[in-house]
Amino acid sequence: MRITIDLLQKALQNISQVSYAEARYHHRIRNEISVGNGAVEEAKSTQNEGVGFRVLVDGAWGFASTSDTTLQVMVKTLNDAFGMAKISASAKKTKIAGLAEVKLAKGVFRSPVDGSLEDHNLEEKMNLVTQTEASTRKHFGTVKSAACTYRELIDHKLIATIDGAAAEIFDSKPEFRITAVASRNSERISASETVGVTGGWNDLFRKDSAEDMSRKAAETAKNLLEAKEPKGERATVILDSGMVGLIAHEAIGHTVEADFVLSGSIVNGKRGTQIASELVTLVDSGYSDNVGGAAGVLLVDDEGVPAHKTVVIEKGFLRSYLHNRETAAEFGVAPTGNARAFEYSDEPLIRMRNTYVEPGDYSTEEMIREVKHGYLLKGPRSGQADANGEFMFGAQEAYLVEKGEVKDLLKGVTISGRALDVLKTVDALGRDFAYDIGAGYCGKKQLAKVDGGGPHLRCKALIGGVQ
Amino acid sequence: MMNLSENELLEICRLAVKQAVTKGADEAEAYGVSSMESEAAIERNDIMLGKYHQASGLGIRVLKNRALGFSSINRLGRAQIESAVDAALQIASRGSSDPYNMLPKPSKIPRLSGILDPEAASFSPEETLRHAVDLLETAKRYDKRVTVDSGGFNTSLYSHAIVNSNGVEGSESGSVFSWFIMGMAIQGEEVSSFDFQFDGSHHMKNIDVNTTANRFAENVVSSLGSKQCEACKGTLILGPEAAIELALQTLMSSVNSNNVQKGRSKLAGRLGEQIASSGLTITDDATWTEGLAAGSFDREGVPPKPLTIVEDGVLRSYLYNTYTAAREGVKSTGHAVGDEESSPRVGTSNVLVQPGSSSLEKLLKEVRRGILVTRFSGNVNPISGDFSGVVKGGHLIVNGEKVHPLKETLIAGNVFDLLQNISGLSKERQKIFNYYLPYIRAENVSVTSG
Repeated sequence: MRITIDLLQKALQNISQVSYAEARYHHRIRNEISVGNGAVEEAKSTQNEGVGFRVLVDGAWGFASTSDTTLQVMVKTLNDAFGMAKISASAKKTKIAGLAEVKLAKGVFRSPVDGSLEDHNLEEKMNLVTQTEASTRKHFGTVKSAACTYRELIDHKLIATIDGAAAEIFDSKPEFRITAVASRNSERISASETVGVTGGWNDLFRKDSAEDMSRKAAETAKNLLEAKEPKGERATVILDSGMVGLIAHEAIGHTVEADFVLSGSIVNGKRGTQIASELVTLVDSGYSDNVGGAAGVLLVDDEGVPAHKTVVIEKGFLRSYLHNRETAAEFGVAPTGNARAFEYSDEPLIRMRNTYVEPGDYSTEEMIREVKHGYLLKGPRSGQADANGEFMFGAQEAYLVEKGEVKDLLKGVTISGRALDVLKTVDALGRDFAYDIGAGYCGKKQLAKVDGGGPHLRCKALIGGVQ
Repeated sequence: MMNLSENELLEICRLAVKQAVTKGADEAEAYGVSSMESEAAIERNDIMLGKYHQASGLGIRVLKNRALGFSSINRLGRAQIESAVDAALQIASRGSSDPYNMLPKPSKIPRLSGILDPEAASFSPEETLRHAVDLLETAKRYDKRVTVDSGGFNTSLYSHAIVNSNGVEGSESGSVFSWFIMGMAIQGEEVSSFDFQFDGSHHMKNIDVNTTANRFAENVVSSLGSKQCEACKGTLILGPEAAIELALQTLMSSVNSNNVQKGRSKLAGRLGEQIASSGLTITDDATWTEGLAAGSFDREGVPPKPLTIVEDGVLRSYLYNTYTAAREGVKSTGHAVGDEESSPRVGTSNVLVQPGSSSLEKLLKEVRRGILVTRFSGNVNPISGDFSGVVKGGHLIVNGEKVHPLKETLIAGNVFDLLQNISGLSKERQKIFNYYLPYIRAENVSVTSG
């Protein structure tokens, strides 16, 4: 039987004595092709589908899921969720009072697509990965090893809640990644170029073609092989869009997730106060604002709340946390559409979407010209944030800036600082804008596809290096 | 609904393999899993959610003209299996031929005992909850400044089976009890560093949430009052978690034969060479049932044997699956890993690092100037081994004494240099999921702070 919203609603009618119940059907196709040094390492198509039921009973949550979507099994699973909530309620000290009221999503929602992924057949995708990997090894003599991966997530969701959500959602998120390894004797160094978007084939390669990315990755690896170690110090840094996306996500985004705020994050109680330079306006949005294709697009969240553009910091002042319906009720505000679950078998948690800094009015050249001694950092690598706001993330390339000019390329660095201190040192924002962390995933018990970006940004931070 | 039994999974796998061969596969493999999990989740110092999850899955790998095709599904009806077989064959028929693509031949699989706790099937969701409450309350009792952001206790029962067209057949069932706790300490305006602790066991009798909760609480409380230190080159003492994140993952990635063969390892061509200080001995052992990566067969149905990777600092072996072994004309070491949603890769099972002879206390006493690192939050280039990142839950050590906890302190260096500069291993060891290792002391590491 084909699963429909009606069938989910029918299942939900079989439960009483709950304050809230939701049913979420999720069908996901994941295709992946991966080639390393001419050999196919992965060529797969996976399919996962099922329904997750979440209920609120006696002030506690219960969750259960099944891959069997017959009405009979769904009702049994709903009852399992009820039983788990009852057990949790027996130990929960502070009962959940209720969920925030909001106009819930109804109807069909489709993420914008330019060039449907289904219209590009398997052969074309395989050829692209194979050829790009091979050509990456042909650009420079020192680049003898490479790897290339294409991956796509194609999602179909149905969300029904007992208080009225009835949404059907279609979404696709492709990603593409090239790694080049340069070597000499026993020295090895790698560099990657990545892109990940919400949308279709043309969205994926709008900014750079696969061939452009291949050449860039190879060139960076070749240059990094010659690069010297940076010196560790506190210094002025100019960050590219991807690095700014990481700062927005790691340094601020995680600290304003309302569940974490309630645990005692550093911004607890700071709403309405200035926590950053007045140049900084920071947003988390379910849409792809400013430019298209951001990988974290979420038109309806997994509680059925329609997408929001949430201004977190407005001209330096903290305006909003990121909420699900439960925390929104606790704070007495409207939900922001941040409840997300990765697979049907995951319960929704508060997660970010596209987190970015709004652009300013500098050109990148002006920004560099004003720096006596500092670094231009490019190419975001993984990052983390700590409870105390201390963040770290890596840059693939670090260029020394001396007397207003970009000098030598240095080996990649990690930068760190306390979020609230560093944001106060922001003194210039570019007028450019891009998203650039869409090929990665954010981990918080489950994965989530997020993006981040902004203009070039200048601030002060601590740089790791040799002594 | 109950889990599928080993026999039911074997039947499903045989059916998929038979279909694949009938439809034109030269070789075919099916890997089936079924699991049942209950979980009690902690959030914001309270129980938050109870979760029950039952799931099955099937991964099908086919080879046609030595080209690879793979597909997986999580609904195991006949129609779904047939379309998954078709999908895998379609991929293989468009793929490129690789002479080393082959599936293993059958070998005798000795069955490990000790992966399934016979009492596990009767373990109730109420007991799962009781352990979560115990975990939370122990941490809170340690000190009132402790805040638990998230945590949980998870009970899982699983079965899996593998069948291939060469006659390989294996199946096994297991139980896993696991728990984690994450949070910080808050004192007035000051918020400490996060700490994250986790552990798990196949056996109910080894459930010990109290040790985990107390270690977590001690770490967050002792990181309050952190200060910066002066930049220096000094000694590093890596706690077990930090040693895994900073050094062992990169080392194990560099002995992965796939990386060795594809120019992605600095340890290529260095078998028999001294790649680390003498005293460092590392084995990989899937038969060690205290570790959570224990199993009678690997992801391809090959039974693994304990394997010495590094012996007294000398590189002894790489890790192989069937494909990478074929490329070098050697035998698989039984290190095919992965779930039912991916083609088998190469990876570790349980990683055991031999302890040293000094106590941790003595290792600390001998340090003139250095830092103790509980967690490392940073980037390690898995190929070059260059690392740069922030010290978490770190303490400055001067003349053998812990002086103060550290903040905004970065360390940088190279993993392969660090391995050559090991100056001590503690005799105390800690088990973390599939790792069992001591504290590791190394010299000459760059520290930036301030």
